[in-house]
Amino acid sequence: MRDTKIEHTLAKRKQNGYTDLDDFGTVPISEGYFVEPWYNSENGSFYGYDGMCENFCRVIDAHEPYIDVNEMLCGRWRDMLVNYRGDLHYMPNWLKNNPKTQEFMKTSTTLWSKRWDEGRFPYDELKPLQAKYNITSGIDADAHFACDYRIGFELGFGGFLEKIDYYRKINSDKQAFYDAEERVVKAIIAFIQRHIDKLEQMISTEKNNEIRDNLIEMKTVCENVRYDAPKTFHEVCQWTAFFNCAARIYTRDGAGFQLDGLLYPYYERDVKAGILDDEKAKFLISNLLLIDPHYYQISGVDENDKDMTNHLSYLILEAADSINIAMNLTVRVHDNCDKEFLKKAIFYLLKNKNGWPRFCNDKALSEGYMRNNGIDKKTARERIAVGCNWMCVPGKEFPMNDTVKINVAKVLEEAVKDLRNEKVRSTDRLFELFEKHAKIAVEITAKGINHHLDHVWEVTPELVMNLMMKNTLEQGEDISQCAELYTVGIDGAGLAVVADSFGALQTRVEEEKILTWDEMFEALDNDFENERLRLILNSSPKFCQGGTVSDTWAKKLTALWVSIIKSQPMPKGRQLLPGWFSWSRTIEYGTKVGATPNGRKAGTPISHGANPNPHFRTDGAPTAQANGIATIQCGYGNTAPLQLEFDPKLAADEKGVDIVWKLIETHFKQGGTLININILDGEKLMEANKNPDLYPDLVVRVTGFTAYFASLSPQFRQLVVDRFLEGI
Amino acid sequence: MRPLRVQKAEKRKKLVSKGIVADIQRNSIHDGPGIRTTVFLKGCPLNCAWCHNPECISFLPQIMYYPEKCIGCGFCEKGCFSGARVMCGKEMSLHEVMKEILLDKDYYGEVGGVTISGGEPFAQRSFLNELIDACKSEDIHTAVETSLIYFDKDIMSKLDLIIADLKIWNNEIHKQFTGVGNSIIKENFKKINELGVPIIARTPVIPEIEQGIREISAFMKELTKVKQYELLPYHPLGNSKRKALGMDEDKFSIPSAEYMKEIEKYVFIR
Repeated sequence: MRDTKIEHTLAKRKQNGYTDLDDFGTVPISEGYFVEPWYNSENGSFYGYDGMCENFCRVIDAHEPYIDVNEMLCGRWRDMLVNYRGDLHYMPNWLKNNPKTQEFMKTSTTLWSKRWDEGRFPYDELKPLQAKYNITSGIDADAHFACDYRIGFELGFGGFLEKIDYYRKINSDKQAFYDAEERVVKAIIAFIQRHIDKLEQMISTEKNNEIRDNLIEMKTVCENVRYDAPKTFHEVCQWTAFFNCAARIYTRDGAGFQLDGLLYPYYERDVKAGILDDEKAKFLISNLLLIDPHYYQISGVDENDKDMTNHLSYLILEAADSINIAMNLTVRVHDNCDKEFLKKAIFYLLKNKNGWPRFCNDKALSEGYMRNNGIDKKTARERIAVGCNWMCVPGKEFPMNDTVKINVAKVLEEAVKDLRNEKVRSTDRLFELFEKHAKIAVEITAKGINHHLDHVWEVTPELVMNLMMKNTLEQGEDISQCAELYTVGIDGAGLAVVADSFGALQTRVEEEKILTWDEMFEALDNDFENERLRLILNSSPKFCQGGTVSDTWAKKLTALWVSIIKSQPMPKGRQLLPGWFSWSRTIEYGTKVGATPNGRKAGTPISHGANPNPHFRTDGAPTAQANGIATIQCGYGNTAPLQLEFDPKLAADEKGVDIVWKLIETHFKQGGTLININILDGEKLMEANKNPDLYPDLVVRVTGFTAYFASLSPQFRQLVVDRFLEGI
Repeated sequence: MRPLRVQKAEKRKKLVSKGIVADIQRNSIHDGPGIRTTVFLKGCPLNCAWCHNPECISFLPQIMYYPEKCIGCGFCEKGCFSGARVMCGKEMSLHEVMKEILLDKDYYGEVGGVTISGGEPFAQRSFLNELIDACKSEDIHTAVETSLIYFDKDIMSKLDLIIADLKIWNNEIHKQFTGVGNSIIKENFKKINELGVPIIARTPVIPEIEQGIREISAFMKELTKVKQYELLPYHPLGNSKRKALGMDEDKFSIPSAEYMKEIEKYVFIR
């Protein structure tokens, strides 16, 4: 399976070009694959129940069955709806280069690249300020919430149809919704049926008895889950694989679930019945992880603080180890969790150096989330790690998580502009100006969020994920209209740039008086023509060095950020949650920001997530970074992740495990929320940066997600290398 | 009992002692157990030809020059911000050093802690003594890396771990390559063995020198408090620092994997 994965990675690189996105578990596009989209809008896109449903059916219908005789689960995805909605950011090269697509783009409207239906739901009045503060508004962002898989496991695809049929009679005015949902489910069932047909054909020609038996078993499983609810461990894995393929085709997103918790009853039952052993269970899990590297959470505690680690938790780690590809497993850490399990998770991190698993802190996340209005402990515990930097209550929450960002380096730029006209120039005054602009930025961001939440059901309803959410089928409404929880995250990007800028100004201009304010403004205007001036600012004390002025500014900025976001009024029970995260857009965000007072040149990347600026300490001490990031947590259940890249030159032995465990344990005791660790082989990383094709299996954790290093763009590879901390 | 305010004032007063510090490295995991902070004190009476930390030989602050970082601004006298001219060694108060050490206290746990290295830490005896006391008063596991050219029963008895080298068995060869004979070092090994403090003994492996590793290993086996005997392959990292200090590069080479394999049998843990 691992070898096939490597082949696919290289083939996809050829077809898609470089990407800075998650691997998503896709397989290469097959020869002759083509979908002609159906556009129902004058602006050349498709919207609403009918538009999304029709095109989902076209794309999934075009997906050939995927069956590998060496695997036990079938189904893979290759293409997604968003590719046909004109977003060139996501459109892969194979689609851009297809002559039919090119022809279509020529004949279609010039407004082809509009995703949001601006004709019906314009937001022109928000755009100037969104641009001014480089806000990623979240308008037209897809998914970024989590399904409650228990609903699907209980009903199966046939059960969905029955539920739709039942509630369409009650909500007679919602026929368009139910029509769309019904067609979506039927298209998924047809997708499964094509696998059954293909399996039958393969069985009829297969000579090898062992392979034939496997194909027969696969066919039986597919037949059992085509309509009915899954009953066995094998079936529940296959059911999940099919659902995930459909969800990915629809929106590329979706999310995983508490993998060990939800699958354990099936495991236990099958083992007792004598139809499953640990080897087969491991194979099925690794097959599931191969099909889709969704964000799955393992371990953690329940609402009564009881450890949820079980035997399957261990098998999941072993399965992941056996396949050792790009994976997004998150281990939830709590004082009551099985320590042996946590150490085993770290052992694999050290042994494979492939960026998995990562770790989240139950205490900080649960207690933080409970500080929001109306959140009890049970709900807080249900809010699991199912995304890049984000958590979600499956089935209940519509958080737009990770889709809304404000580039705070850009906010700083506006504040610095204003400072020029001030009579009294000081960092205190600059902070007041920063506050003024940050408030405007948050206000305009909130308006964008409300615009999205009010209208997204008419633009891109979540027809696949609606199937496993609460209230949706029951009320005949899209999840964006009927979620129990709207705790919407706003992340600030570029904290270290801002904190270091304040620190540099305080140190070099105010205290040491090496530079005057005017000299500093001039240096920014000419983008540090004088390198010495740049270095004077850049060599001042930085965030995460420990006890520096910039560390103090980072804390002050965080307190301000939290207070502005939490005091922003929101309608309809919606609440905003602050966090620090940049996603992988540090390069793109950097291009929007001129030179900054921390000695950063115009257009260069901003700092990553909640991390310090690269080269913040000569020893690059992870403890220094962990200490610093623990102090800038926003405290409402969203994260400010600690992203570590280092080569600890530690063996996967007791000493190595204990050292990494101490790092994780202490950061979490200090209040850290999420740790993404890349334990890397430094030499291999540097070699792979020079010649990525020689290392198609090298996986790095880019932000929250892992990706194949060879698939990343050269610019992004360099960023990973720059973040890399030599030694531990 | 004195009021807390008075106790704190006294504690601060005690921290005014100063030492010449070359560097403080946080998150150090190869200088003793667990996660540690390593404090490098400047100055050493030995002058080992392969020294990995040549900037720690002189007791005086030194300028290290990295020409590749120089931007040619011509304002050296007004301060270098490019990293081309770096002052190695600064006088730090005990308070300043402890402030840095305490930043990572949460990460030390029971296993990790502080390692005071150098140079030869015992060459700054008084500062070392106060630094160890300050660490112990914070319940921090404290180790010293020493050449054992000195023996100081009072200070050494306070330590949780002594990491010490015996670099060459033969006295003359030892003198030739380090500037001093080793008979006093061997004697001091025997003396620290009586203190009850656990010892990690080490030998840097320099392929060009007849070091007598077999004899050193046998010697260490006789000492009951030596919990571990390690061989550290020579690495050339010291050479970039030699260059920055205006010194000639050493001419030693990295031991081959075969050679390290061959002498691996002399390593022990007990």
